Amino acid sequence: MDAFVELSAELTGFSAEELRSTGLVEQYRALAQGAPEADIIELWYTGVWHGVVPSARAYAEGLAWKAVGVAAPGTRAPGFGSWERRPRRSTS
Amino acid sequence: MRAVVVGAGFAGSLIAKVLGDNGFRVLVLEAGAHNDHDEAVRRFRTALVKTPLAPYRTTAAAPSSDYLINTGPFDYSSPYLRMNGGTGTAWTGITPRMHPEDFRTADLGRGRNWPLSYDELEPYYRAAEWEIGVAADADEQRQHLPVADGYRYPMHALPRTYLDEAIASVVDGQSIDGNELLVVGTPQARNGIPVNGYRPHGQLCAGYASCVPICPENAKYTPHRTQKQWSAAVELRTRCVVNRVHADEFGRITKVTYQRYEDDTSGRHTRHEEEADLVVLAAHAIENAKLLLMSGLANSSDQVGRNLMDHPALLTWALMPQQIGPFRGPGSTTGIEVFRSGPQRCTRAPFRIEIGNWGWGWSAGSPGSDTAEFVAAGLRGKALRQAVADRVGRQFALQFEIEQEADPANRVTLGTDLDALGNPRPSVHYGLSDYVKDGLLAAKRASDRIFELLGAEDHTSYKPDDERYFEHDGEPLRYWGAGHGGGTHVMGDSPRDSVVDRWQRCWDHPNLYAVGCGSMPSLGTSNPSLTMAALALRTAGHLVSRRPEEVVCTMSKAP
Ligand SMILES: Cc1cc2nc3c(=O)[nH]c(=O)nc-3n(C[C@H](O)[C@H](O)[C@H](O)COP(=O)(O)OP(=O)(O)OC[C@H]3O[C@@H](n4cnc5c(N)ncnc54)[C@H](O)[C@@H]3O)c2cc1C
Ligand code: SF4
Repeated sequence: MDAFVELSAELTGFSAEELRSTGLVEQYRALAQGAPEADIIELWYTGVWHGVVPSARAYAEGLAWKAVGVAAPGTRAPGFGSWERRPRRSTS
Repeated sequence: MRAVVVGAGFAGSLIAKVLGDNGFRVLVLEAGAHNDHDEAVRRFRTALVKTPLAPYRTTAAAPSSDYLINTGPFDYSSPYLRMNGGTGTAWTGITPRMHPEDFRTADLGRGRNWPLSYDELEPYYRAAEWEIGVAADADEQRQHLPVADGYRYPMHALPRTYLDEAIASVVDGQSIDGNELLVVGTPQARNGIPVNGYRPHGQLCAGYASCVPICPENAKYTPHRTQKQWSAAVELRTRCVVNRVHADEFGRITKVTYQRYEDDTSGRHTRHEEEADLVVLAAHAIENAKLLLMSGLANSSDQVGRNLMDHPALLTWALMPQQIGPFRGPGSTTGIEVFRSGPQRCTRAPFRIEIGNWGWGWSAGSPGSDTAEFVAAGLRGKALRQAVADRVGRQFALQFEIEQEADPANRVTLGTDLDALGNPRPSVHYGLSDYVKDGLLAAKRASDRIFELLGAEDHTSYKPDDERYFEHDGEPLRYWGAGHGGGTHVMGDSPRDSVVDRWQRCWDHPNLYAVGCGSMPSLGTSNPSLTMAALALRTAGHLVSRRPEEVVCTMSKAP
């Protein structure tokens, strides 16, 4: 088992599989292994590490957006008129 | 005829196009560098704070609004961008017309009257809506504004957001202080479904939800779109900062001088000049005033730089009782228009209400701020995820744009500090009158009432250590800069008390024009750029032929 992923899953409330699907595990491990809990959560939720956004992907894959069930602004296009629909609840 | 246009932003790009299509040789001198769209999208994604100017390339030689110096009791905090395309690259793209009353603000409220009426500008509104591509429904707009019979906007109104419907279903038909509330679609310069006879430029709006500062899809109008349609008669030179306009002893403009630079990071430059039969200043309200002051021109009225106005914006934010799915689609697709007009404007500034679809992003830094708050409170794992989903998924905001009247004491002057090219930095003395403050307070009260009707949980708070915080009648208030600067080369009926005439021609110089929101004697409560574009097309028509009524018909495809 991967200890960094395990800890991240426990802190963020997202499964190991969800975290891996962001493609960011390796980058984040290098940055945040051994860091305080709050820093690890901030990195996963907002894509910010000590005041810097380490990559465009970090912003796009921010878990705060995923918790709400929307794309980070300016990263994916849900399509014309999609904003009319009842929001889907993504929280599992 | 050799025309020099100073500034390849919103107004300058439109004017250059019409002149180039109608027999002028046009040189556009642009202070900023070229914009690389893909690079700007990348920069947006990795910017820590996604401010309006964050994605864009700026240079030491042509700084943007961050080089402005505030000297007044209140900070003037609206940004503007000096890059090819100008602030029109970063704008939101909301395009309401002014209300007919707004042209008579001195008679009905405070400030100055226009030398034009709504009816005189109406055909140019139509031309501008077709030129930049506006999505709206004429019948819906007629609920609060006169729109010509049989007129169709070039694109159908954009679909409303889920939030809009949730709000409309509760507030429509309710009233506040005798004002009946109605949620009305907001005209948008972003692509919807075209009507017959209109071919949109750029893609259909796909809901990226980042229109300001950048639409990755190019669905929002920017001046780059107009530039693509320029004829071969228009030449653009970027990295050219115009620093002086020269006149002969009769007041006729003869040439402009400019500083050209290559390096983004230093003030190293070479000096050049260009002769012209006609000069159009389109450098943005503050920079137009600065350039006129630096040149010592057009100021026999002593009004250059004065009457600086904007929309001090009030933000309020709350949680809906149910999930509404913010951050999907454009920033605002509807508003409440009833407070824009009516007798109350005699006693306090009128305002327009935008229903804000991007959560508490602008007002409170969501969702990062919510996450930080919950983490600090000890939430972890599923509980954290649930709390963020519940909080952010119900967020919405109201944005109130308060009219600010023309006041000669609010002004741009030349600062004593110099920029990297050795040009003076603009110095701004700005304040809010009691009329504006009363408007802000009335807006806050309307917000309280709307939240109450909605059963929304109000989270608005203004604290003494917040920027632009103040108290009025014992109540805490705050304002934000909307980016709508105007008034600095004000238009009027007489050379004694205005800078430009009804064609935006400087009274003191027969071949010098100053265009942009700087010409507007009042801003009313509407986002100003559509009105600015209508004025620019009207001026272009006037320049092409002294029979402007005919020109507008050939120029625009508008019915
Ligand atoms: C965040 C934000 C959102 C906005 N949203 C809206 C909205 O939704 N609706 C709306 O109506 N309005 C909106 N606005 C306002 C709108 O952007 C402006 O009204 C409009 O861009 C002004 O057009 P302009 O041509 O006068 O100036 P600009 O578009 O700024 O263009 C001026 C150009 O002149 C160039 N220039 C400056 N100085 C010189 C010089 N010395 N020599 C040569 N070139 C020079 C600049 O580099 C620039 O390219 C918004 C503004 C901001 C900041
Ligand atoms: S919602 Fe998206 S696609 Fe539409 S204009 Fe805004 S950024 Fe562009």
